[in-house]
Amino acid sequence: MKITVRRDDLVQRLAVVSRAVSTRATVQILSGILLRSAGDDLQLAATDMELSLRTTVPAQIEGDGAVVVPGRRLVELAKLLPSEEVEIEHRPEESVVHVTSGSASYTLHTYNAEDFPRLPELDAVTTFTVDREALLETVNRVARSASRDESRPVLTGILARFEAGKLVMAATDSYRLSVKETELGGQVPELEAIIPARALQELTRIAQSGDEVELGVHENQVVFSVDGIAMTTRRIDGQFPNYRQLLPESFEHELALPRNELLDVVRRAAVMIERTSPLQLRFAEGELTVTARTHEVGESKESLPAPFTGDPLEIGFNADFLRDGLESVTGDEVRFKLISPLRPAVLQGESDDFTYLVMPIRLPG
Amino acid sequence: MFVSGEATILHADLDAFFASVEQRDDPRLRGRSVIVGGGVVLAASYEAKAYGIHSAMGGRQARRLCPRAIVVEPRFSVYAEASKAVYRVFDDTTPLVEGLSIDEAFLDVRGLRRLAGTPAEIAARLKRNVLERVGLPITVGVARTKFLAKVASGVAKPDGLLVVPPDRELAFLHPLGVERLWGVGPVTAQKLRSRGITTVGQVARLDEAVLVSMLGRAAGRHLHALAHNRDPRPVHVGRRRGSIGSQRALGRRPKTAEAVDAVLVGLVDRVTRRMRAAGRIGRTVVLRLRFDDFSRATRSHTLPFGTAHTQTVLATARGLLAVSMPMIERKGVTLVGVAVANLQNDVPAQLVLPFDRSSGSALDAALDEVRARFGPTAITRAVLLGRDQGLTMPLLPD
Repeated sequence: MKITVRRDDLVQRLAVVSRAVSTRATVQILSGILLRSAGDDLQLAATDMELSLRTTVPAQIEGDGAVVVPGRRLVELAKLLPSEEVEIEHRPEESVVHVTSGSASYTLHTYNAEDFPRLPELDAVTTFTVDREALLETVNRVARSASRDESRPVLTGILARFEAGKLVMAATDSYRLSVKETELGGQVPELEAIIPARALQELTRIAQSGDEVELGVHENQVVFSVDGIAMTTRRIDGQFPNYRQLLPESFEHELALPRNELLDVVRRAAVMIERTSPLQLRFAEGELTVTARTHEVGESKESLPAPFTGDPLEIGFNADFLRDGLESVTGDEVRFKLISPLRPAVLQGESDDFTYLVMPIRLPG
Repeated sequence: MFVSGEATILHADLDAFFASVEQRDDPRLRGRSVIVGGGVVLAASYEAKAYGIHSAMGGRQARRLCPRAIVVEPRFSVYAEASKAVYRVFDDTTPLVEGLSIDEAFLDVRGLRRLAGTPAEIAARLKRNVLERVGLPITVGVARTKFLAKVASGVAKPDGLLVVPPDRELAFLHPLGVERLWGVGPVTAQKLRSRGITTVGQVARLDEAVLVSMLGRAAGRHLHALAHNRDPRPVHVGRRRGSIGSQRALGRRPKTAEAVDAVLVGLVDRVTRRMRAAGRIGRTVVLRLRFDDFSRATRSHTLPFGTAHTQTVLATARGLLAVSMPMIERKGVTLVGVAVANLQNDVPAQLVLPFDRSSGSALDAALDEVRARFGPTAITRAVLLGRDQGLTMPLLPD
């Protein structure tokens, strides 16, 4: 098999699939990228067994074949090649590919394409289309509440539910919860799946253009196609927490605060604290005071006017969680809803389609 | 760090704790050789120690050394109660109490002279109070540093009181055997002895570099400092042990996965309850397993935030158990232990979302209340009904 391809096309498409190249060294072949001839296209594929990415590059190809080439190495060198045209020649009998471009030539050892994991068949999956921006926005609003702690796999996923006219996504790491509802045009089937947050975040990076994303669920796989790229990801088994019963029905206090101003106060205070020490919010008549105090570092204190009435309320929050919440709501005002120092608080923006629920930190005293 | 010029640090250590409690509660055991624990010896009374019996010794060997010894089953809840009562005496003595374990603590009595007398007087009163209020003998060592106070109590045992005056420290320390130094176990002692070094004084005469070459960097430096009586550590209030755990032996017959899970549930219930009672939360969940062939495995996972929440610890422990399942199926499990380490005080504490209504902190609190009032078996999980919870014991170090 001998492939001739434009360098810039190759570099651009390799950058996409290389995001699925495994960084763990345990299974060597997963560190490779599969190159396969398909008529006038060169197919590229990579997988780390959780996520797979496939795309094509227009190419002139002599002969058929498939080979797995070390991924990182190929990506690095493709970027640096001197000529606009690249020739890749696979010599199966030597288990190598020759890469030539202008004056530069490389010989790379390869893996056997038959050892590459079989990726889910895309043709077998029934898909439907979703507005790309709506999908990505929904992911972006909830993704940071997903857990990175692998000990509870369900929480590393985002619950995605398609229902009549809308998409609902929810994510929680058991300390906070984000829920976003997004209106969808067009017909979508009713569908619910827990999708790894990591995969959806990759999707937001990859799906840079195109109006729509094709989406389908097949057995334990979820398939996305956008902009000539196909991504598959494993579906997470298990029961997602029933988040609706976590959302309090009523609150003691509900106050509108200037979002950017509060965000700045929180960011400034956060400089003074360690990872797990609390930010103290003291609500009193007409005023909110944010204090950060760390034994080893020091202390910060800042007040801003707040439409608060009643007995003062003091509540602690993890600074990162509070900042994430303030960043994920939209609009000039944030609606801060509180019950008591040990009950969850809710942040909402200009509309009710997004909810950020966060558990406080129990404070001494 | 500031080290007082005066001997104000007390190391208070209950004598043969478990065995003393048994002798306290059963007059027939007094003055006799008592062994607590039928399998491995958990504690031996001083009468039994005279026969060479010591804790962690195999039961068979112990009975061979002293066939007339009386073996009693341990009663951990009684020991825990006694320990609490003794700590109340500590807390009444001084606000500066650093608990080391269930039966020993450091107390700093600096600044109490006008209120309560000299450290020696305070120590004598402490001994009296522990005996009167809890009925147990305790030994107290008094010195300028924690290390010396601990050495002093070790020398004074049992039922002793020994004050090391600041101007007699080296005279006290140097004639002692190297085993008295904190951190010198049988292996290190043997290494030193094989070079003809048997006393602390001999260690003190060696260069630090020589000790480092013999014992390694950390141990060498440590011993050099101790032999020269350098120990600047202050008494840390409330810095208690680093983990809370419980374990259960399962016997050798095969068990189903459900049975092992039920044991795990019972252990987690117990451990998290004890954590909450102690006002502690922890980040690292540790699962310990012992197999039919006596090999062991330890699996741990560290959470982003400390917790004493039953459901959170259980979910993590189950994850660790799931990973270990192939090993359990292959080798057969004979002991399961759960511990939570990386402990800290429970304020400030990141609270956890109550994922299902039946698992929130409110439920934990309600169950704790019932168990505190009516005993640990007053309320239990359906999965544990009809299952013998058997003998669970505080996790002992491997």
